[in-house]
Amino acid sequence: MLKHDVVVVGAGLAGQRAALAAVEAGRDVAVVSKLHPLRSHSGAAQGGINAAIGKEDSVDTHTYDTVKGSDYLGDQDAIEFFCREAGPTVIEMEHFGTIFNRSADGSLARRPFGGMGLPRTIYAADRTGLALLQALWERLGTERFTLYEEWDLTRLLVREGAVQGIVALDRRTGEFAQIGAKSVVLATGPYGRVFGRTTNAHSCTGDGVAAAYAAGTALKDMEFVQFHPTALVETGILITEGARGEGGILKNAEGERFMAKYAPRVLELASRDVVSRSIITEILEGRGFPGGYVHLELMHLGREKIESRLQEICDFARNFAGVDPVTEPLPISPAQHYMMGGIGTDIHGRTNIKGLFAAGEAACVSIHGANRLGGNSLMETLVFGKQAGIAAATYAASATAPTLRDGDLDAAIAPLRAWSSRPDGEDPSTLREEMQAVMDRYAGIYRNEADLLEGVRRIRALQKRFAQVRVVDQSKVYNVNLTDALEVGHMLALAEVILVGAYARTESRGAHSRRDYPQRDDAHWMKHTMALRGADGPQLSYGPVAYTRWEPKERVY
Amino acid sequence: MDETTVKATFDVYRFEPGKDAAPRYDRYVLDLTPHTPVLTALLKIRAELDPSLTLRYSCRSAICGSCAMQINSKSRLACESPIGPELARDGRIVVEPMRNQPVLRDLVVEQGTFWQNYRTIEPHLILDPRHPMPEGRENPMTPAQVDRFKETPRCIACAACYSACPAVEADPAFPGPMALAKLYRFVVDPRDHATQDRLVRIQTEGLWLCLRCHLCTEACPKEVRPSERIRDLKELAIAAQGATEHGSRHATGFKENIRERGLINEMKLARQSVGLLGLLPQVPQGIRIWRKKPELFRAPHRIEGHDEVEKIYEALDDGKTKEDLP
Repeated sequence: MLKHDVVVVGAGLAGQRAALAAVEAGRDVAVVSKLHPLRSHSGAAQGGINAAIGKEDSVDTHTYDTVKGSDYLGDQDAIEFFCREAGPTVIEMEHFGTIFNRSADGSLARRPFGGMGLPRTIYAADRTGLALLQALWERLGTERFTLYEEWDLTRLLVREGAVQGIVALDRRTGEFAQIGAKSVVLATGPYGRVFGRTTNAHSCTGDGVAAAYAAGTALKDMEFVQFHPTALVETGILITEGARGEGGILKNAEGERFMAKYAPRVLELASRDVVSRSIITEILEGRGFPGGYVHLELMHLGREKIESRLQEICDFARNFAGVDPVTEPLPISPAQHYMMGGIGTDIHGRTNIKGLFAAGEAACVSIHGANRLGGNSLMETLVFGKQAGIAAATYAASATAPTLRDGDLDAAIAPLRAWSSRPDGEDPSTLREEMQAVMDRYAGIYRNEADLLEGVRRIRALQKRFAQVRVVDQSKVYNVNLTDALEVGHMLALAEVILVGAYARTESRGAHSRRDYPQRDDAHWMKHTMALRGADGPQLSYGPVAYTRWEPKERVY
Repeated sequence: MDETTVKATFDVYRFEPGKDAAPRYDRYVLDLTPHTPVLTALLKIRAELDPSLTLRYSCRSAICGSCAMQINSKSRLACESPIGPELARDGRIVVEPMRNQPVLRDLVVEQGTFWQNYRTIEPHLILDPRHPMPEGRENPMTPAQVDRFKETPRCIACAACYSACPAVEADPAFPGPMALAKLYRFVVDPRDHATQDRLVRIQTEGLWLCLRCHLCTEACPKEVRPSERIRDLKELAIAAQGATEHGSRHATGFKENIRERGLINEMKLARQSVGLLGLLPQVPQGIRIWRKKPELFRAPHRIEGHDEVEKIYEALDDGKTKEDLP
């Protein structure tokens, strides 16, 4: 029987940082990941990581910018903690070996990012996530731990309110196994693939979030979905906010620099929800290019700056859109990018299940509230990954050994066996595509009651069909047909929570924009949505937002 | 963007060891626009024609390194290889798993050795206890020092180079282009205190097994140019330790020979590379060569215009200060 003190699921930045903290605390640690850790989606983060390390900057200013960016839904005590930890964290990553860009004096270079009044974003060209992921993996590699590479999480084992471990599928052998654990850290990242038009990797399917939800954990603020303003129109491939940070400008089909109308002071560097809505408004009002996009212009920055600081996006634009950013504008429109919501936790990653912790994009502390600022998510993975790792190690030190029963494994596997044995049924790819079409159409940047209700109805119909899902591929080895089915099952549960939360929240705040309720409504909605799984879908309740110093004001950029 | 579709024929390698007697190629024909990436086409095959087709993929934007495979015999990332040029050149698209790694199933290969070789070069900062990290602040590093990494931080460990490398195929002792490019990244890191040890160690652990064919550089999707970083490592290793290995002695001997006469003195170079004792096992072969080409055993004449050779050497020596070294 496989057993460890701490099992970390997910091996992106949050998972690896949690694992490192738990190993350093002396625990027996296992990392379970469906991808090799270096293939994790953290590596796709481009623009940078925020820390108030400049002389002219302060933790207070970073905190205020984040509170304002969150549209006052972020918990101010958590944000203060986060911003205080940010400086030491980026220094630690430098000491681990991260290769950051530097200023002439040898210090860490910083670039401007949206929603912040001064340059605060430390970066490694336009591949900051990759630089951090490599450095952390190489640092973690000097420690002893067990890696379950290419294992898929299928469910959590919880008994009497305490976690006992996980059930997972070894892709290489096709065998399911229980992995016992005194504590489990879920760091499985986002579930952006519930949408079709997304910057997220194919692997971002919310396996950990769905498993936590199924096990009775409360999911928090799931209706808050960030749409990145600048994704390549055809593929949804991300063009970093760094492109605007370096001076890139947005123009509509009439050649107008339209952000002057929406954010006259900071223009393209308003926060992401504002810029995305502005672009969509331009397109809806007929000032987009045919096919529904606007232009991101970089040409005026000059070849040298573009090719040195925006190297990866040069390749992306040339290879994926056939456009050279040195000489031509990029065709862009918004795409789903980040999930503010997730498994509800405190700043130590604790959930409402004993021994279960979560961190990174899978979790919701909440520091991003209704809208995340660019550059805060990489920092979140590291700050709260470490906290969750420490807390999981501490818990494991005094927890009793998990009890695993063969019957639990059989119960977990039996329904999955039926997927492969039924002679006829629903195709997982088809279900996924239909789900994505529903979410793109009914849960996008602008929402309204009728759309959201229709979305819920359609997702529930897909859930019914999923009960008859069929896995055609009968092989045990690396069965992607089976993992497709697992993933779409996870996503259908989460899509419903997004829609139900969005339907209930009759206001517009941050990334959640209701056409029928266009104003922020602090009197009724200054609160976190908590969703528990019930017999007839998500059961919503609401929790308070923590305040310290900043009274809600109207957000103007 | 060309919106007209073309008929694209894919011949895809299918094999499950232990189950299938032999690999086969399944043919799929799809209507696609020419700029469709091969990965998109394969996912369409999975969704519409054959869900059992097995491959690794994740980000679809050339940053996770999951989808390297052989596309018309070249090691490429499927996500950034449009079908148009492949069809124009070869008329069809043959998709096979990467080379130099055992097939797990279809396009998925076992990468244990690839990852192990990467671990073996100790890819982490090694510190001198006498020089701890500065407390509470970053190590200073100038932009010029950052430039010394060249493009190695762009490596996404996709293993396309490893797949393309004939030295990997020929000799398990060769750690492969990616591991060596990674080693270069740590050798030039001003924060690392093991530069000398790393260079000395790699001289006997595979550095000189590189065949200098540059296929890795051709395969690399991220301009890391591993073969050039291997060349940089060789220069640094000789500078650090002198020419201690057959490979490095061959390189320095070659340079000396050309400088002297503009031609290779084969006998001398062989002696320089492996030493007199090292030549002993070669005697039977030497006798055979001597019978057929005795001129190889005479010192060559100095070539006409040898002063030009000397000028090239001087220019290279002058032009290259220590700071210019990688």
